[in-house]
Amino acid sequence: MMEAIKTGKQKKYRSKKRVERVSNAVGYTILVIISIIWVIPYIYLILQSFRGEPGAYTSYLIPKEFTFDNYIELFTDTSLFNFPRWYLNTFITAVVVCIIQTIVVLATSYALSRLRFRGRKGLMNLLLVLGMFPGFMSMTAVYFVLKEIGLTQSLVGLILVYVASSAMQYYICKGFFDTIPKSIDEAAKIDGASRHTIFFKVILPLSKPIIVYTILQAFLMPWGEYMFSSLLMLGDQEMFNVANGLRQMLQRENIAEYFTRFCAGAVLVSIPIAALFIWLQKYYVEGVTGGAVKG
Amino acid sequence: MASLSLKHIYKVYPNGTKAVNDFNMEIADKEFIVFVGPSGCGKSTMLRMIAGLEDISAGELSIGDVVVNDVEPKDRDIAMVFQNYALYPHMTVYENIAFGLRVRKMSNEEIHERVVQASEILGIKEYLDKKPKEMSGGQRQRVSLGRAIVRDPKVMLLDEPLSNLDAKLRTQMRAEILKLHAKLNTTFIYVTHDQVEAMTMGTRIVVMKSGFVQQIDTPKNLYRYPKNKFVAGFIGTPQMNFFEGTLKKSGEKVEVAFKYTDARMTLPYEYLRKARPKYFDGNSEVYIGIRAEDISLAPNVVAASPYKVKMIVSHVEDLGDESLVYGDINMNGDGYSESSTRIIVKTTLSHTYRPGDVCEVAFNVKKMHYFDKETEETIVPRIPDINEVECEVQDGTLEFCETSIKLPPALSIGNGSGTVLIPSDCIMFHGTIPAQIVDCEQVGDRYLVSVELKGRRLYAVSSEEKVPEPCLIGFDLKKITLSVGNEIVQPLEEMVRLDGRFEKKKETTECDVNGKLKKKKSINFYLNVCETLFPAPEHISQKLFSALSPREVFSSLFTFEFSPYDIEFTQEGIEGDVVSFCEYGTERFARVRIGENIVNVFTDKPVSGKVYLSPRFDRAGVVEAARGIKLV
Repeated sequence: MMEAIKTGKQKKYRSKKRVERVSNAVGYTILVIISIIWVIPYIYLILQSFRGEPGAYTSYLIPKEFTFDNYIELFTDTSLFNFPRWYLNTFITAVVVCIIQTIVVLATSYALSRLRFRGRKGLMNLLLVLGMFPGFMSMTAVYFVLKEIGLTQSLVGLILVYVASSAMQYYICKGFFDTIPKSIDEAAKIDGASRHTIFFKVILPLSKPIIVYTILQAFLMPWGEYMFSSLLMLGDQEMFNVANGLRQMLQRENIAEYFTRFCAGAVLVSIPIAALFIWLQKYYVEGVTGGAVKG
Repeated sequence: MASLSLKHIYKVYPNGTKAVNDFNMEIADKEFIVFVGPSGCGKSTMLRMIAGLEDISAGELSIGDVVVNDVEPKDRDIAMVFQNYALYPHMTVYENIAFGLRVRKMSNEEIHERVVQASEILGIKEYLDKKPKEMSGGQRQRVSLGRAIVRDPKVMLLDEPLSNLDAKLRTQMRAEILKLHAKLNTTFIYVTHDQVEAMTMGTRIVVMKSGFVQQIDTPKNLYRYPKNKFVAGFIGTPQMNFFEGTLKKSGEKVEVAFKYTDARMTLPYEYLRKARPKYFDGNSEVYIGIRAEDISLAPNVVAASPYKVKMIVSHVEDLGDESLVYGDINMNGDGYSESSTRIIVKTTLSHTYRPGDVCEVAFNVKKMHYFDKETEETIVPRIPDINEVECEVQDGTLEFCETSIKLPPALSIGNGSGTVLIPSDCIMFHGTIPAQIVDCEQVGDRYLVSVELKGRRLYAVSSEEKVPEPCLIGFDLKKITLSVGNEIVQPLEEMVRLDGRFEKKKETTECDVNGKLKKKKSINFYLNVCETLFPAPEHISQKLFSALSPREVFSSLFTFEFSPYDIEFTQEGIEGDVVSFCEYGTERFARVRIGENIVNVFTDKPVSGKVYLSPRFDRAGVVEAARGIKLV
């Protein structure tokens, strides 16, 4: 080093700040481009939902005439498409599935994380492998079973189909429970708590982020599901969910008249999910377990 | 407050690993017991078994008078402090401490009173509204202690509670835990790997290694009288110096020759009197142990001492008020590696030692320890198991120490000279042989009595204190081993061991229901001992089923252990043939062949030929043969 200074041949280093600035600029540019590509369909959908001009497609993005009629007609003109009924069907299904699935997933995950029983690993692997097969593989079989017990064209049947595979969602939740030190369970056990007290009073309060995640997942799946509901309802429009129903508006004979209404429906469909996420995001914070054990 | 009783406790994992092996201990009320040992020695597993967080594979754990093997942790009335605090992070300190009381549905007023009291004791009252993450490590551990003491448990269990704290805080918390123990007056069981913590805190210390208890004793006794090389090396800082060497007795002197060096020293036999003669042949290798503080570099001490060796200094560790001088008693040794000639000397001298300096050091030979090279057990135990004495047998009379004893038929042996091994517990203070009690030393709850028989020192064990005076002694000849020429007469085996299995049988019994005889099917359990079925006693069935899975219970081979006094000659039972008798004068044992085994059975009646034996199972021990686990 001394030699280098003496001879004036000191190695030149690139400025750290400069390198950071350039890499940030490149990174942000890529992110902005991706965001624009990602956001454009939504903006298009929202703008189209307020379009006053009739017709399916326009060659321009911003409507010439803005109107709320598309939203109003969704709820008032129910002669052909009963959007309020679809909306209610979807809401009932999603809420019931969300509640049942959240309970099942949390309970399964806790059991697989904390209890040691014969066949535990085998069961976990089985659930994991079964979860890898797409649900529609069993569609025909499920349909015939439900038909036999008279549950086709009914929301109960649909709810049953949705919650049946709940336990398979255990993996992420179990991973979270595994990060909560077992000594906390043991301390509570010695303090006199039973398993359910430990679960409800100690583990669940520490698991808010994963509960939020589980609720969102459980709500999202039935909210936008199309395949099972269309198969099970077999053309009974009164029992459709929104995804199924809105798809009817895009049929060739309806698209010209109903496209803008379809866009309005799609915007309305996204509102509950957004609201749910905004409500739950305050719990979606990390570091809840801070201070429990020596870090 | 409660005492604890741990009897033959085992922890065996499904893969066969034994984490705890035959742990036996009685813990008195209000004791402060410390389990200490290196990582993986089973100390935490033992504590967790006491807490109920781990199942006990075999054995019996009692808290107070209640066997708690199958009792839930919450019902054991214990509290536990964890190494990593294990606080509830979403609760405030107040709620953390109150949680156990709330679960037990205590009134809010009482909870408040207790939480405030506990927080005052631990000095955390001002933090009651804070969450654990806002507190330092020491404060969190105090909360953890608070959570434990607030319930006023019978037993406090502490699993390395200070390991995560820095050195200064550790010393402070150590004192506080001791204060807490004095204040709460309850039984504490404390696990640590730090021998300093163990020595400073425990009223008794349990040293463990690889699942086995090495020694249970007070800190002072562990330091002064380590039972084996492991305990000697584990307790004390720096570690005890260990040299290899041999001992050679000549007259009342013993020459100690250090291996790999020319160092020699001659000690009075007095210090090694309890060692068996076989170690003094000059060939049997032993480990010679001496602590760094029992070696002196002080010139005046060295000059006055006849027990000195030369060392070459390799390096020095200055600790402020004292220094540790490292070196080697082999002038070619490096003094750094842990070899059989490396020596560490603790000194308070201000003299500066430089690497390469050669100096003489004086050993305090009264504080030297000696361990068997193979077993690593001490060869000078506090209570010697065996007195080894030269003897002569002439026409059925045993002569040793100028004393003659007429040998009973069971000990008949040819004429000649040899040795007799007399266990210290077979010397009785009632008999016909005149002797002199010269010393009596209390060791635990027993007394080691030194008896002189015509100038030869014998060690005996007594449950009562003895004063130096003439006495009459006798020997329980069932326990002695006699070796003359090539002949050896072994002592009577203390246990009769018979193999067997646990079986179930579906049986139909007839019972009277409203005047009608009805057949009732039932499943009954039997012990199949040497192809003979005995109804399985309830306590044996219970213990086997609690320790093993049903499949294991019915497929395992067990060894049943009985005292020779607990087997009776009956009309039916295990078939055997009387082959001979062991006559010990007042007592007589029949040697009965059962299959290929021969067992000794006490009898006061004449028996011969084919006999049937019925063991008393209420006092039987049951060992799972494959893994050697004592289940009953």
